[in-house]
Amino acid sequence: MNATTFETFRTELAGLAGRAPRSTLTDAERVARAKAVIRRRVDGRNAAYLETCLHCGMCAEACHFYVGTGEAKYTPIYKVAPLRRVYRREIGPMRWWYRLVTRDISAAELEAFQELVFDSCTECGRCDLMCPMGIQISPMIGIMRQALTAAELAPAEYRAVKAEQTTAKKDLGIGPAEIAALAARLTAEGVKVPVDAAKADIVYFATSLDVRLFPESVKDAARIFNRLGASWTLLGRSAELLGTGESNTEVNVTGIVAEAEQRGAKILILPQCGHAYPRMRFEAANILARELPFEVLTIAEYIGRQLKNGKLKLKPIAGRPKVTYHDPCKQGRHGGVFEEPREAIKSLGLDLVEMESHGRTCYCCGGGGGQFLIDRAQRLRQRTFEIKMHEADATGAKSLVTSCNSCRYNFLAGAAQASWHTEVQSLVELVGRQLAD
Amino acid sequence: MDRMNQSVAEALAARGVSRRGFMKFCATTASLMALPPTLIPTIAAALEKAKRPSVIWLPFQECTGCTESLTRSNAPSIESLIFESISLDYQETLQAAAGFAAEEARNAAMEANWGQYLLAIDGSIPLGNPGYSTIGGVSNLDMLKHAAEGAKAIVAIGTCAAFGGLPNAHPNPTGAVAVSDIVKNKPIINISGCPPLPVAITGVLMQFLVFGQLPELDALGRPKVFFGQTIHDRCYRRPFYERGQFAESFDDEGAKHGWCLFKLGCKGPTTYNACATVKWNMATSFPIEAGHGCIGCSQPHFWDAGGFYEPLSTTRWGGWKQLGIAAAAGAAVGAAAALATRAGTGAAKKEEKTS
Amino acid sequence: MSLLDFARGPAFHVAILIFVFGVVWRLVGVFLLRRNRDLSPARAGHLLEGGMRAILMRSLPPHELEKHIVFQHASGYGWHIAYFAAFLLFGPHMPFIRQFLGFTWPTLPNTWCLALAAIALALLIVLLLRRIVNPVLKRITSVDDYISSVVTMLPLITGIAANAHVQLFGVRYEELLALHVLSVCALLIWFPFGKLMHLFLAFPARFQAGVLLQRKGVEA
Repeated sequence: MNATTFETFRTELAGLAGRAPRSTLTDAERVARAKAVIRRRVDGRNAAYLETCLHCGMCAEACHFYVGTGEAKYTPIYKVAPLRRVYRREIGPMRWWYRLVTRDISAAELEAFQELVFDSCTECGRCDLMCPMGIQISPMIGIMRQALTAAELAPAEYRAVKAEQTTAKKDLGIGPAEIAALAARLTAEGVKVPVDAAKADIVYFATSLDVRLFPESVKDAARIFNRLGASWTLLGRSAELLGTGESNTEVNVTGIVAEAEQRGAKILILPQCGHAYPRMRFEAANILARELPFEVLTIAEYIGRQLKNGKLKLKPIAGRPKVTYHDPCKQGRHGGVFEEPREAIKSLGLDLVEMESHGRTCYCCGGGGGQFLIDRAQRLRQRTFEIKMHEADATGAKSLVTSCNSCRYNFLAGAAQASWHTEVQSLVELVGRQLAD
Repeated sequence: MDRMNQSVAEALAARGVSRRGFMKFCATTASLMALPPTLIPTIAAALEKAKRPSVIWLPFQECTGCTESLTRSNAPSIESLIFESISLDYQETLQAAAGFAAEEARNAAMEANWGQYLLAIDGSIPLGNPGYSTIGGVSNLDMLKHAAEGAKAIVAIGTCAAFGGLPNAHPNPTGAVAVSDIVKNKPIINISGCPPLPVAITGVLMQFLVFGQLPELDALGRPKVFFGQTIHDRCYRRPFYERGQFAESFDDEGAKHGWCLFKLGCKGPTTYNACATVKWNMATSFPIEAGHGCIGCSQPHFWDAGGFYEPLSTTRWGGWKQLGIAAAAGAAVGAAAALATRAGTGAAKKEEKTS
Repeated sequence: MSLLDFARGPAFHVAILIFVFGVVWRLVGVFLLRRNRDLSPARAGHLLEGGMRAILMRSLPPHELEKHIVFQHASGYGWHIAYFAAFLLFGPHMPFIRQFLGFTWPTLPNTWCLALAAIALALLIVLLLRRIVNPVLKRITSVDDYISSVVTMLPLITGIAANAHVQLFGVRYEELLALHVLSVCALLIWFPFGKLMHLFLAFPARFQAGVLLQRKGVEA
């Protein structure tokens, strides 16, 4: 990735909001649509959580937005207050009592919460770890986001991205043509990238960030598959799995599963992406209401596994440089992928020094969940980036390695703002360049 | 000299009580009434002058236990001296007369002392049917109303007269009530207890004799000097309560060690009386010392307070069966709520998604 | 009927029936809601074990999180333990417990229970004051929090007052006892409608979290 593509991308994001379609819903329609989503999605498990909150406020101490700013409105459980009220008034067992003593949600309130659930939440799940009652807040933030999206109250940038998908069938300018072009270029450079093969054991895809900013990660993933002699293919479609709308999430997930199935895939490998991993690994089966016929792994997981079973061999990097590893929220805390990336770092001969918050308590990069799209939240992102910066600096590491390109983008953007000189490195690229002969 | 015109001191001297004995009597009276020793000469002077007041004692729906308590002493005591100090003009248990003669004597005494006599009542008054308790064909209710009119003050002796007592316990088949439920316009002193401590009765009479007034009363009309503290506050077993050492059953190790009887139903903490200090049978003992919890007999409705062996910290909770029914009802409402929600979710899922 | 007879009699009777009715209503109403089986493959087995472990381990957050919440954590557990100890280890309470369970256990001297109750009350007051001034808590506090706080504190306050035979405002000991029992009635009646329900809900909620995290292969 070079400075120009980075800047171009950043500028483009800054202008996204202006391309959002106007919303003409009435207040009553907004409330009705939001409530319909809440009624559909809040199930017995969410209900148990919503009933158990003690208003203790400990969740705030886990949230990088609160920790970075000290602003009480970023308290995680507060962010789902409208959802909780709808639950109590319309779904819960004591709704007749709550209808007497609480007020209904309003469109104005939903609008006020847009900032809270989009700008100041990345669904990182750190609050889910902290709550003494075990409340899983982040999935309920997900429901809030879907409710706001249905009410056409998602931030302008999200609505612009969605509009581009619907009309131009592209994600941030990337569609099948661009993917095919990248595959052809890489193949010409000597790394074979099969696209849409009829049959393959491994199905892989590239995200818009991969194609626009980090094409090397596609190249290095291909190198690894080819070295292992795997029967694999890159999907020609773009695969946006962030999806904050109910049905577009379903559509995307269903589409990818169908493509993998029709190719007889044994493993669906996800690229260095955030939301994609829990979406496909844990949610897809429940969205489709059936078990998936293939395994789902993230590329870091696959690499670690192949290193463990001896099939993949790496040359250690000279000098045993000191690094620290950032566990992407969606792979680590939401995915359980901790050991495999560290296996890779070990095989690369790197000296790993963990940050104070690592593994399941690792702080979010600050821009996940599509938050990096939101222009007005830049200051907020920077405040949370400083938390990561200080933790990384404290390790004395020369570089920060991660296995999510979304995190990578956020670190690079943050580093540029703060003039931070620690190098940000990608796990798959490190591995792809150290393949033993 | 007829007894009604004797002074108290003269009556005591006639009975053979020496001057020294008389001063001891005054000193004891002073300490009984919690009065300072400096008042002893005042008491002596007053008793020398005081005329023996007429006391009419009417027994209503009672068991005679109060009379027994007062009179059951076989050595010269304050109680017996008191009887020498007053002119007890009607007392069915103690008097020699009976029948029409007794009633005539009573009416004569009442007329002669109209407005001045002390009316002592023991037993409750049945309102259900006047025939439940009568004296010489006159119902207790009518007799009380008439006698109260000429009384200077009324002493309700025993828990029955003071609060309704045993007859008043649920379901109160005779419609028994207390004296204070009937008489509203005369001073009433309640000396409760089942039976009351003899010394409480004599103390009140002495107060009346010496000072011509009634002692300071609590909210239930009982003399504070005897009923101002709880048994618990003066119980010699209190340290065991505080240390958490309780008898768990009668005659167990704890009981044998003389530990607190709270868990065996002792109502000491909520019972106001002087048993723990003054004790019974000339300071021999009192129920707790004998190993049985206080039953709270000087308190209103002590018969209906849950049970003598039910500790104060127990409640009427209805039993597991009732809780089971409440749970079943709750489950039904909760299930209805959840099922209604599930039906609603099903309908919502069929709606077209808008994003 | 004296205030104490009323408190120990009809008041408590009604209160405990409302308590049982309300608690079961709420629990059944929540746990009969739809919950689909998770069809994704678990990373490690023993989901039930993960659930059970979370019930215990949620009381012990990881160090990096604990250091931010140490005061609240310690004072929260502190008052809960002192409160339950003062209730369950006080000799005169044993007949009350025996009514329901049919058995009892050894107890502490009264002064120890008084000390425990005082500690619990002090911590509760500190936490209530904190709730009033702390910005995060101000943002998320509702009327339920205040009511729950008060009905929790009243049995302590009235119990301490009764045990100490407080004589303010001419109140008598049996009235203090009555107020103590009535404060417990208030607690029982409010219980199903507020956050005190976490007594019953904490365990299933933690269990759910444990199962979910075990499926993902993350320590709960």
